[in-house]
Amino acid sequence: MKSLLPVLFLALLAAFPIGAQEVQLPAPDMIVGQPAGQPLTGAALEEQTEQVAGQLRCPVCQGLSVFDSPAPMAVNMKHQVRDLLAAGYTGEQITRYFEASYGEFVRLKPTMSGMNWIVWLAPIAMLGIGIWAVMSFLRRSNKSQRASEAVPDAGAVASAEADDPELLPYLLKVRELAYGWPGGNPPAEGDRS
Amino acid sequence: MNRKVLLIGLAIVVPIVLVLFMNLGRDPRKVDSPLVGRPVIDFSLQEVSSKQPMDIAALRGKPMVINFWATWCVPCYAEHKVLTRIARANGSKVQFIGVVFDDEPAKILRFLAENGSAYPTLVDQGGKVAIAYGVYGVPETFFVDAKGTIVAKHEGPLTDSSLMNYIAMVTGGAR
Repeated sequence: MKSLLPVLFLALLAAFPIGAQEVQLPAPDMIVGQPAGQPLTGAALEEQTEQVAGQLRCPVCQGLSVFDSPAPMAVNMKHQVRDLLAAGYTGEQITRYFEASYGEFVRLKPTMSGMNWIVWLAPIAMLGIGIWAVMSFLRRSNKSQRASEAVPDAGAVASAEADDPELLPYLLKVRELAYGWPGGNPPAEGDRS
Repeated sequence: MNRKVLLIGLAIVVPIVLVLFMNLGRDPRKVDSPLVGRPVIDFSLQEVSSKQPMDIAALRGKPMVINFWATWCVPCYAEHKVLTRIARANGSKVQFIGVVFDDEPAKILRFLAENGSAYPTLVDQGGKVAIAYGVYGVPETFFVDAKGTIVAKHEGPLTDSSLMNYIAMVTGGAR
């Protein structure tokens, strides 16, 4: 029986020759309205086909546009883009036409609306936060460097002591803890180095 | 200063964690079809064996299973057996339709001769119907209820149980 299959198959082909077929689908104007542009031909048509198909994501590829992909599905879509441009539909109408079937996924560039703002603004926000973080780090390190350079001298210490004798015990303790001076008293000039 | 850093950190981390949490159970390769919940897109294509045009608008009133496939698709072989078996058992209540794209009629006829056929197989030369249905690859199947609304889309090969679940969904019957 299996050996008869190819014969039956060829007989079926001969009985029903396969010719060009007509596909009937709802007209594009039912989805995106009447053509809003001028019907294109020649070089302008090819140029616009490249531009519009270049903005559409190939559904069966990884990150390739319909224009760049050699996949049969992408080639079919490119043909449709060309047909629609020749019929006078604009690039935006054509994108919306494919969006009706595939969703926003088909746009290589997401629109600036709704949650998509995050996609557009996040890189700018992250750059701003990065600059702010670097600036504040630099400012802080400059401040601590200045503070470490500002070691009090004996004269300044003496005047502070004279200002408020009641605070003297606390001042001495702080100095002892902060600078390691025994009893909070500054070392003699010769011991400072 | 530390409080400010904490607030900025939270403002960045919390939305990221929320988005990740909300999508935990989601297949990253799956893209929701905008057609689900919308009326079925009517089309007319040539049936591969009879060479007669078939208009699916004429089938309105009966739930439909529209299966996109191709002979070069390896998972479609196993799925075809499932579809054929279940179509034979449920053909009275659900209309099964195969749509083949990116393929040659001669190969389709050979495939059907070798693997059996239980429902009309339409040839989508140029892939216009597949594009109108937002098909990403084969096999993909759309399930349409009796009112003509697309109620579900399945990507990848169907199994007996998944197909029966979808049929229950479009017929309104419980399994």
